[in-house]
Amino acid sequence: MPTVTLSDALLDELVQICGEEHVFAGAAARFNRARVPSPFPVHRWDEFVPDAVVLPTSAEQISEVVKLANRERVPVVPRAGGTGLTDGAVPLRHGIMVDVKLMNRILELDLEDRTVTVQPGINMLKLSEELKPHGFIYPDNPASYPCSLVGGRIGTSGWSLIGGRYGHTRDLVISFELVLPTGEIVRVGDGGGPKVRKSSSGYQLKHLFMGHQGTLGIVTEATLELVKRPEAEFSAFYAYPSYLDAWRATGDFARSGAATLAGVVLFDEWKLAYLRRDDEAYIPQPESVKAVVALALYGNDDEVRASAKRMLRLGKASGGTYLGDEISQGDWASRHDRYATPLHGRTRDGQVVPMSWHCEDASILYSQLPAVREKWHAIAAGLRERFDMFDDWGMFAYTNGAFKPWGDYLTEIDIGIWEMQWDDESWAAWVDAKREIARVALEHGGSISACHGSCREGEVDLVPEELGGGFEVMKAVKRALDPNNVMNPGKYLLDRAYEEDAP
Amino acid sequence: MIGFRLAAQRPPDPERITDTVVMRFEHIYEVDPNLMTEHTPQQSFPAWDTLRIVDSRWEHLAWMHDHFADSVVSGEELLREIEGEEGEEA
Repeated sequence: MPTVTLSDALLDELVQICGEEHVFAGAAARFNRARVPSPFPVHRWDEFVPDAVVLPTSAEQISEVVKLANRERVPVVPRAGGTGLTDGAVPLRHGIMVDVKLMNRILELDLEDRTVTVQPGINMLKLSEELKPHGFIYPDNPASYPCSLVGGRIGTSGWSLIGGRYGHTRDLVISFELVLPTGEIVRVGDGGGPKVRKSSSGYQLKHLFMGHQGTLGIVTEATLELVKRPEAEFSAFYAYPSYLDAWRATGDFARSGAATLAGVVLFDEWKLAYLRRDDEAYIPQPESVKAVVALALYGNDDEVRASAKRMLRLGKASGGTYLGDEISQGDWASRHDRYATPLHGRTRDGQVVPMSWHCEDASILYSQLPAVREKWHAIAAGLRERFDMFDDWGMFAYTNGAFKPWGDYLTEIDIGIWEMQWDDESWAAWVDAKREIARVALEHGGSISACHGSCREGEVDLVPEELGGGFEVMKAVKRALDPNNVMNPGKYLLDRAYEEDAP
Repeated sequence: MIGFRLAAQRPPDPERITDTVVMRFEHIYEVDPNLMTEHTPQQSFPAWDTLRIVDSRWEHLAWMHDHFADSVVSGEELLREIEGEEGEEA
């Protein structure tokens, strides 16, 4: 077990700042906050355990913790729900973990200007339950809806399953307060007051401080968009005899122009084969069903009904078979299950083994989806051939653009991993495979990640290539704002910002 | 009130559905037990508990629908409307 390297004097100062009941140096508190759901080298768990965990209750406390970390040159790692699919919340260099879960209150509900101001530890599911009596929702809807927190959504610039209709996290967060890497507390937004949605005043700092994976500060408060609760929801699942038929239909649905369209998702043949193993919706499907397209609409009842009829006509014209209300409504409502369901995969001889679910994601242009799919599955097959601990669970492609959901797609290949089998050799092969998957995305004009972030081992190596001169700007920003490299060090290759020849 | 019934405790024999799937209750599928012998041995599971989990699943899905909208529009109902409209046009 790794020993705590922080001095007693430093721990005493943390206690003075946060209170004795909010500072933890015991093994359980630290080990439980070492990993996130993305693949984790469990055989090297000790390398990622924080030295101490604090659960502050105010921005001022976080500010004091960060100032102390700067004075002592100790890493600080922010953590909200810990549900991210890259490793933003994993402490690569140990240090002090700042867990914001106790800061989970609604601070203000403004029904007139339609905003809600919250602390970073509140969860979207609980928030929506609080908003329902007022006729509103906060439509940030990740797969981790039941367990992720607002602070993490901002730190990762999250992606929403209904983003085509309502936007993603960056479209739904109006402004937020954060503690900078040197401890100052600032508020960033579009400009003006905290509730202004569009301003042309100054730099657009809101986007700079979203998606940094905890390397540029810790969110302490956020003002969010309130959206009228939809009167109606419509979802439809269509079966197709081939991937290409389904791919063409996906394009038809996505380009339909329906303002109520929240998302269209395409499941490929590998995904269907996986679902036929143990999913009640797909086991009874005939072998002729090779791919599935799903779509969802939200809005006023009259608008949704009119759009739904348009979609149903498109579905018929594209040669699809409507899979019925039970599957269409049930599967859509279960879209968050991957975070709650114990998962299992198969060894090469078909035996069931406990596996964790992992997905490599990218932004891929619609025109490139068929080609990328072939290459990604070939990479997964190579992994499985070498190590009987990986399992290809298929791919999906999901409309990606907010409000204009037709150009590029959040594309994921789901890979089951029998994590208890990790050793140095299999981990190295996995990292190589992730790098190859990212390489394919870039070769096809895409981005390494649409949703999860791209700072994990493997794909992160290609980030400078993807961003070009933008990566030089990232390094300059990091060094300017975090001169001592204490804020989540080791992520996104940003240690390079502190090398002698860095900009 | 009867406190115990064997039928509530012991699930019926499985019916084979595919090479890798069996079924003991209508529309409730199970992985073939032969595939769960080496790494994840199956436990005996009372019938009432299986049915309880399935029932609560429907409650969960209804609860999740309710998080996002006041009502759920039926595709089957709309398809019947479309067929009627197309019939009138013809």
